[in-house]
Amino acid sequence: MAVMDVDKLKARFVGREFDTSEFVVKHEDALTFARCCGETDSRYSDPEHPDYQAPPTFLARFVGRRTMPEEFPADEFRGAFDGGKLVVAHAPVPVGETLIAASQIADVFRKTGRSGAMTFIVHRMEFRDRAGTLISTVDWKLIQKEGA
Amino acid sequence: MILDLHNHSIKSDDGRARVENYCQWIRKRELPLDGFVLTEHRQFDAESDYRALENEFGLRILKGSEVETEYGHVLLFGVNPDLERALDFTRVDLPLATVLEESVRCGAVAVPCHPGRPNVGLCAHYDTLGPAEGVRIIEVASGGSRAGEEEAAAALAETHGYLGVGGSDAHIVSQIGRRATRFPREIRDEEDLAAALREGSFEAVRWQ
Amino acid sequence: MVDFGDEFQFQPDVSMETVRTFVKAARMDFWRFTDHERARKDGGLPGAIVPGIMSQGILAAAIHRFVPGGTLRRIDTIFRAPVIVGSSPLAKCVVTHVDEDEGVAEFDLTLENEAGETRVLGTAVVSLPPTDERGDE
Repeated sequence: MAVMDVDKLKARFVGREFDTSEFVVKHEDALTFARCCGETDSRYSDPEHPDYQAPPTFLARFVGRRTMPEEFPADEFRGAFDGGKLVVAHAPVPVGETLIAASQIADVFRKTGRSGAMTFIVHRMEFRDRAGTLISTVDWKLIQKEGA
Repeated sequence: MILDLHNHSIKSDDGRARVENYCQWIRKRELPLDGFVLTEHRQFDAESDYRALENEFGLRILKGSEVETEYGHVLLFGVNPDLERALDFTRVDLPLATVLEESVRCGAVAVPCHPGRPNVGLCAHYDTLGPAEGVRIIEVASGGSRAGEEEAAAALAETHGYLGVGGSDAHIVSQIGRRATRFPREIRDEEDLAAALREGSFEAVRWQ
Repeated sequence: MVDFGDEFQFQPDVSMETVRTFVKAARMDFWRFTDHERARKDGGLPGAIVPGIMSQGILAAAIHRFVPGGTLRRIDTIFRAPVIVGSSPLAKCVVTHVDEDEGVAEFDLTLENEAGETRVLGTAVVSLPPTDERGDE
């Protein structure tokens, strides 16, 4: 991948909503997610619990119909890998309900690390329920090695 | 005086530690540190003022930077407005020769850090680019090093006659104090730290 | 309930069977997570790797075990290096700040490999359960 002009990418794309998608928090998926991660808290592992909900990081598994804006140079990021995730839990994740997530690019920057020179894209999704209540904000860092 | 010379706060893009929490950690864990330096990635944090924390916790809290060159990452101590004008700290490809020259010219000290780390340490680049002129001090004790990396740094220092410092490269609170540098005298401020490094009398220390 | 400097750790199950179950539920059934040979050959990886969101979920589970009744408000994880499927990593939490008035605690999180190298690190903010639920008074 060529060295990207991150200033141009930032100016053009950061902060613009480019996708809205719906996701169902399926009971079976949420329970399996919890159990595989070693959850012993019955709020997440026992469907009979009065406060039963999906684990707070469950929504990090969803991606929208697009992961990048339409005019974004997506081809340059085909080999991108996951560099990390931030989840801010505003409210319990309701099992069995449909959530609506809006996606945007929150930041673009370059740095060097063990893997060499890299371009970072911070992708943000805000999940709301049908009433518009903000449930969770998920940021994930996509990292593309330059020259790869 | 024992200072941990290499740490990041939330001001760095991958730092997750608040400075106050570093101070609490040092005191509550009774770490043998007299202070630490915040070396934020690709910037000099001129605006933060930690004097109140220094007074509250009895620690010396200094500020430096970690910049990026073709030879890897470099810590800058004694950063001042002259050096900030001379170098674009945000670049990931600063010429090391320029960083070293401008540091000397502006009264600061440049120390290549984690030299044994792939891609961002001197060792990897000495193989391909050859030794860099003007390096005097390297970080021989670096927290976060993987197996063999500190040994590679020590070997490099021995081969080239470099002096060695230590720093934790802490990005979260509990990582501070893994490595440090012992100075024979008190260090009052950033300019004094640069002077002490130029004096050449210090040693890297490891605890974990 | 939790004091500054308190530590907790547990060894999660990242066996191939568990990871395969996880990736099906997470709809991310890709060979880099489930096929050691292909991960090495085609992915340039040391073996099949644990998905990042599973590592994050494991660290969240560690918090919930450490602070029963606590509510995770924020968890921020950086994936520094792969966690290999079938290995024996250790999930660790340590309390780095407690605000009794606000009822909030902050934690450092790490997922280490058998050599003690940090593969995933991060932080978390947790709302502590009300005092009468903590059972410490």
